[in-house]
Amino acid sequence: MMLPVYVALLEVKRFLANRGELGFSIALPIVLFALMQGVGSGASFSGTAHVANLDGGGLGDELIAAVEAIDGVDVKLYSQAKLDAAIDRSAVLTGVVIPADFSERVETGEPVAIIFKQRGSGGDEGQIVAQIVEGVARGMFVEYEARALAADLLSGSGATSGEIAGAIAKLVGEVEAHDSAVSVSDGQGDESADEFADRILPGILVMFLMFAVTLSAQTIVEERSNGTLERLMMTRLGVWRLFWGKFLAGIARAMVQVVVLLGLAAVALGSFGLVALMQAMVFSIFMAAAVSGLGLLIASVARTRDQANWAAVFVTMFMVVFGGTFFPLGDSGLLSLIANFTVNHYAIDALQSILTDGGTLVTEGVGIGAMVVTAAVSLIVARLTFRVSGGA
Amino acid sequence: MNDDYLVATDLAKGFDGNLAVDGVSFTIRRKEILGLLGPNGAGKTTTIRMLSTVLRPDSGEVTIDGHPLSKEAGEIRKLIGVCPQELALYEELSARDNLVFFGRMAGMSGKDAKARADENLEMVGLSDRAKDAVSKFSGGMKRRVNLAISLMNRPALLFLDEPTVGIDPQSRNHIFDTVLSLRDAGMTVLYTTHYMEEADRLCDRVAIMDGGQLIALDTPAHLKESTGQATLEDVFLNLTGRSLRD
Repeated sequence: MMLPVYVALLEVKRFLANRGELGFSIALPIVLFALMQGVGSGASFSGTAHVANLDGGGLGDELIAAVEAIDGVDVKLYSQAKLDAAIDRSAVLTGVVIPADFSERVETGEPVAIIFKQRGSGGDEGQIVAQIVEGVARGMFVEYEARALAADLLSGSGATSGEIAGAIAKLVGEVEAHDSAVSVSDGQGDESADEFADRILPGILVMFLMFAVTLSAQTIVEERSNGTLERLMMTRLGVWRLFWGKFLAGIARAMVQVVVLLGLAAVALGSFGLVALMQAMVFSIFMAAAVSGLGLLIASVARTRDQANWAAVFVTMFMVVFGGTFFPLGDSGLLSLIANFTVNHYAIDALQSILTDGGTLVTEGVGIGAMVVTAAVSLIVARLTFRVSGGA
Repeated sequence: MNDDYLVATDLAKGFDGNLAVDGVSFTIRRKEILGLLGPNGAGKTTTIRMLSTVLRPDSGEVTIDGHPLSKEAGEIRKLIGVCPQELALYEELSARDNLVFFGRMAGMSGKDAKARADENLEMVGLSDRAKDAVSKFSGGMKRRVNLAISLMNRPALLFLDEPTVGIDPQSRNHIFDTVLSLRDAGMTVLYTTHYMEEADRLCDRVAIMDGGQLIALDTPAHLKESTGQATLEDVFLNLTGRSLRD
């Protein structure tokens, strides 16, 4: 019979007719996706080295130039007094002091200490800049030591001092040509894209699918309150066909956002194959069915719109938090045990596997089974507890 | 052919231990408009909900065109149309879409439902607003859409539950004319209202309920004559009393 399909189509038509709701439904996943990806992938590092150069020789300037040459790092020069004052008033959290004998000690191969002055912990930026400066200085020191050592070794070979200097310069040049000695990375890069696809994207997908709980719960309560439910029950539709129609409509509405999200993920991340995307889409249909069933169960039990809303919010929050939607709960303990009773737990595992680990709908049979069982049990209990009118 | 289209026998329905309908028996004759009157809480709407298969009676039986409600609710749904007291409409959708949808729910094909929707909208004077969202309609227009939906399956028996509440005289008159033309075309109608002049004008007979029981059933003229009252409203007040109801 086609009656459930007509009910589902009517729901979709109402959804499309309500421009505000439709726009919100499409815009929300886009905005959330952009925000989560921004947070997940992070931005390139940029920082400033606040330097007081007390060095009388040229190596202090060389060190500053080498630090400045690194992408994302600027150098701001101070006198020592001004640097100290800036640190005192917390305008600067980490300052670098190049000592007066820096050049002399480096050239003679004596140990030299660059002084890092910090306010508190020095701040994340300050700590990173300090490590960069230290690394560059260490490289300079090693280079000078290497030059001195090479000169010592070649001094008895009959080569002139000019030839020795030329050979060393050539050697150093070749080493430098290989790659920049120091570069700044936020340590995420492609790994962040993997992390996003592995954890955050399935989390967002599952969270949006969970909205179907509230939408499905509301739809019958709304029909009950505006009288159309009773009118429908006077037709040939019947309760089971009404439930099938609402069930299909719940899936269709949830899938609008899934399609938007997976489409965005495919474009923005570009790391999924078409097959993985399609399988994620199909799995999402199973999850939409499960949560749509839960929504109908709530609609059947709830007697008022408020009851339905609060019950749906509780179920959604419980599933999101205890299902490990955005963070892993571990493999043992109470939280892990509770997670087994949430659809999110199975959905997250399955979507992660499909999107990033080469899983397929066949390998994710447990997850699909959990969704099918949830949908079937919810629909049956919903039917058994359903009443046309709220209190009567 | 039996002249009684609907026969209700000893109908009863209670909620939370209170009897809303208490042993009501009556008939509706073919091609008759029967008015069902009563103060608030008299049991009119509960009676209609039982007759229209939404509520299962606690006891008693109803037959419609010979079909017992307890056994053939599906068959009965094909025979009846219900215009509920509430505006049971999808406000986001157009008037035509509402009608077509309920036509499909009545088992009509898409083509037939669209054609019937256009006919019904013409009948209730809304052809020119067919494609407008119902949310933009006035109360009277919504009432007319409500009525048009209940006629989608061309029912043999139409239940009208206070179809003229809160609308202007023009829309009321339009609904009266529509109901009378439907009766003339052979439809049987059960009409509930609080407006006594409406019942006097439209109904062939009126049944008066109070406290879940049927306390009178006759033509308006006979009721006035038998109680010695000048108007149906006086008859009503005489039978049901003047105390306020919740």
